[in-house]
Amino acid sequence: MKKLILLSAIVLLTACKNDKSGNENRPATESEGQVVNVYTHRHYEADQELFRMFEEKTGIDVQVVNANADELIQKMSMEGEQSPADVLITVDAGRLTRAKEQGLLQPIESEILENAIPSHLKDEDNEWFGLTKRARIIAYVKDRVNPEELSTYEDLASDKWNDKVLIRSSGNIYNQSLLASLIAHNGEEEATTWAEGMVENMARTPRGGDRDQVKAIVAGEGDLAVVNSYYIGKMLNSSDPEEAATAEKVRLFFPNQEGRGTHINVSGAGVAKHAPNKENAIRFIEFLASEEAQEIFANSNYEYPVLEGLEPAQTLQEWGEFKEDTLNLSVLGDNNKEAVLIFDEAGWK
Amino acid sequence: MKQVGSRGIFSIGSRLQRLKRDSNRWSIFTLAIILFIALPIISIAIKLCDGPGETWGHVVDHLLLDYIGNSLFLVFFCGILVLLLGVSSAWFVARYEFPFRKQMEWLLILPLAIPSYIVAYTYAGIFDYGGTLDLILRVLDLEFIRVDIMNKTGLAFILGISLFPYVYLSARAFFINQANNLLEASTMLGVGEVKTFFKLMLPLARPAIIAGLILVLMEVLNDYGAAKYYGVNTFTTGIFRSWFSLEEPDTAVYLSALLIVIVFALILFEKWQRRNVEVSSSKSNNHRIHRKRGSKGMQVSILCFVLIPVALGFFIPVLQLIYWTFLTAGKVFDMDFIMLSVQSFGIAIISALITVFFAVLLIYFAKWSMLSFFKNIAKMGILGYAIPGAVIAIGVMIPTLAFDKWLIHFLDDWFNIHTGLLINGTLVALVYAYSVRFLAVAYNPIESTSLKVHSTIPDSSKVLGVGNLKTFFKIEFPLIKAGIFSALILVFIDVLKELPLTLILKPFHINTMAVKAYQYASDEMVMEAAIPSLFIIFTAAIPVIFLNKLLIRK
Repeated sequence: MKKLILLSAIVLLTACKNDKSGNENRPATESEGQVVNVYTHRHYEADQELFRMFEEKTGIDVQVVNANADELIQKMSMEGEQSPADVLITVDAGRLTRAKEQGLLQPIESEILENAIPSHLKDEDNEWFGLTKRARIIAYVKDRVNPEELSTYEDLASDKWNDKVLIRSSGNIYNQSLLASLIAHNGEEEATTWAEGMVENMARTPRGGDRDQVKAIVAGEGDLAVVNSYYIGKMLNSSDPEEAATAEKVRLFFPNQEGRGTHINVSGAGVAKHAPNKENAIRFIEFLASEEAQEIFANSNYEYPVLEGLEPAQTLQEWGEFKEDTLNLSVLGDNNKEAVLIFDEAGWK
Repeated sequence: MKQVGSRGIFSIGSRLQRLKRDSNRWSIFTLAIILFIALPIISIAIKLCDGPGETWGHVVDHLLLDYIGNSLFLVFFCGILVLLLGVSSAWFVARYEFPFRKQMEWLLILPLAIPSYIVAYTYAGIFDYGGTLDLILRVLDLEFIRVDIMNKTGLAFILGISLFPYVYLSARAFFINQANNLLEASTMLGVGEVKTFFKLMLPLARPAIIAGLILVLMEVLNDYGAAKYYGVNTFTTGIFRSWFSLEEPDTAVYLSALLIVIVFALILFEKWQRRNVEVSSSKSNNHRIHRKRGSKGMQVSILCFVLIPVALGFFIPVLQLIYWTFLTAGKVFDMDFIMLSVQSFGIAIISALITVFFAVLLIYFAKWSMLSFFKNIAKMGILGYAIPGAVIAIGVMIPTLAFDKWLIHFLDDWFNIHTGLLINGTLVALVYAYSVRFLAVAYNPIESTSLKVHSTIPDSSKVLGVGNLKTFFKIEFPLIKAGIFSALILVFIDVLKELPLTLILKPFHINTMAVKAYQYASDEMVMEAAIPSLFIIFTAAIPVIFLNKLLIRK
């Protein structure tokens, strides 16, 4: 018992000590001792690299809490005025809208951000800004599906795809946002019919993540999988040669090209309402929208940069350009709850 | 307590009198600790008064049946699987001599070292298209066999193979320490091995086995990561969904309340089923079990049989993880990783010490309080284990934030000191939440060893005029040391593996291995999650082996 206590004391001491020595070693800059507290749902290696770059550039220490966006929003709203959060980053526009509605974000003035980011990818009151784009595409196995038969998301619910479609569960935010966009474009009634048709057409009850859907179509469980574009990019460049080989066997289809364009979503950031370090928070988001940061987003995570005129990663270029749905992404948040309710009624697990 | 109900109106009066007579300072201390531990749960309960949210009707119409059905399905089939694996392996290890028996004893506990959501990910990886099984079949030039594990049957299997050690441990303890005399009698009377097991040992071991089973079932009801990945909607995934997706904490609280009712029913069942069984072992003359040595063939078959759960629950997932590590090693391992492991380890040790401290206080204060029903109240303290980590986290935030805000105003008004949150977002809140969550894990082994200390021992010390505290440190503590160490180790392992609560409450700058592993896995970078997972497994495995030594030694 005594030994255990002693041991834990030592462990704790070393932990604290390392912390301090880390601070001392940092070069002295004008921003010495400054921090920016980031609540983020993103936990990619690319982000960590970007945080490090920001620290080196500005001397502002980036402190991170990683969790699911829903939990972070809950946490911020409970902490209220005392919340240490400066920046909230989520992987979906719907959640940012929700944070805005709950009064957790504040409008900011930044010429850099206003010029850099297209208007449909940011909040109309400048409370949040999209930073990277991902498209929700249809993946198919090339020898089983003729791409000419593919057209729109709406078409996936038609009888010809009976028992052929793979898509993950309705708990997933990307599906919720897709349905939210369908509600916006076609109205609630048609969206409900669509969800029911999709449930009818599913090759199996939803399970696993996006990568699992891709693997399942290659294995022959279905013919089409609705997934986010960057997962295919990641699979193609996977550490597991088998996974890369699996991804080689599928092709991408960008739906609704004839009409409104393919549904996209963003990872985005906003400044917290009670941010103790507001200036640092703005600098931080501006940095993430800068060219050098956008390049890293694009190259290591296979997402599309929001900055126009910037080349996406090699893998993405091979897929070609596509027309994107320019629906203002705030709508995804407005319709989110409606979407979840429709999913449940349609029996989408 | 004697029945007094028949005396009608007097009974209340006499009860109150007795309450007044028998309550002492220990009763007050007990209540204080219970309140402290139950505060998050009470906060949630108070929220129940707000009534269900708008979507409660929607949940009842479309989801509730599914949640109940799936949760009961898991409880039932996972229960059967852990009984089969846990009891049989415990019996073989306790009763028979066979090659590598000593190693098997601790290997059978090791599945506890792997978080069940990691097991879920590894098995999905094995049976995947292009997964390990596929590769092996290809080398052997065989057709790909599609094994679909990502469904509720698969989930019951995954939870079963990762949780059976709870049953194994409690059943084995009974077989080794308490079965010998009866076993000898039965053999002397010429009853066969098989019949002895089913007719004698199994009924006698039932309380021990079911105590272990209850722990498993609580874990099953609590599982989030594995159920979510396999697409099985349970109460816990439902709580997350209504809290976060439907934005209705009130509905989530109602679901939690229903879940708590189920767990409470399980606890009552456990109490009821051991009502007639003498728990404190006055039969101190019981020798340790005498092991039987069968023929060579039999010994080998026993070894093979016992290897099945070990392979399923430990070797197969670990080998898969090692394979993934091999593919991704360069990417994940760096200096930050070492820092991370130190933090993880430190937090787990501190939390284990504090949780065990609370458990000991609770058990002994309740004991020293003269009111016998306090022992049942003390049991309330262990409810936290049944509540999903995320709900506990919210439950911890409600009172601590209120206190924090009060403290900020207080310091500002009286001392003109401006501070931020002093408890939330620090280790204090996190460790507090761990204690609430894992008190049951510490409580059970300490309670069961403390019950073995016959009450005459401390009583005679007290008759001689020695106080409660002194008696505890001089006499009882040495006797229950083994229980305390088991409790420390079990809480340590649980904290090391804990996920949802840590995600919500962890401070800036601090990270744990479980969080790291989950971050990778939830980004569908399962392979990159292998290294942090292996770290958790091996850090937890060392104390597990130690734990085994402790339990085997009488």
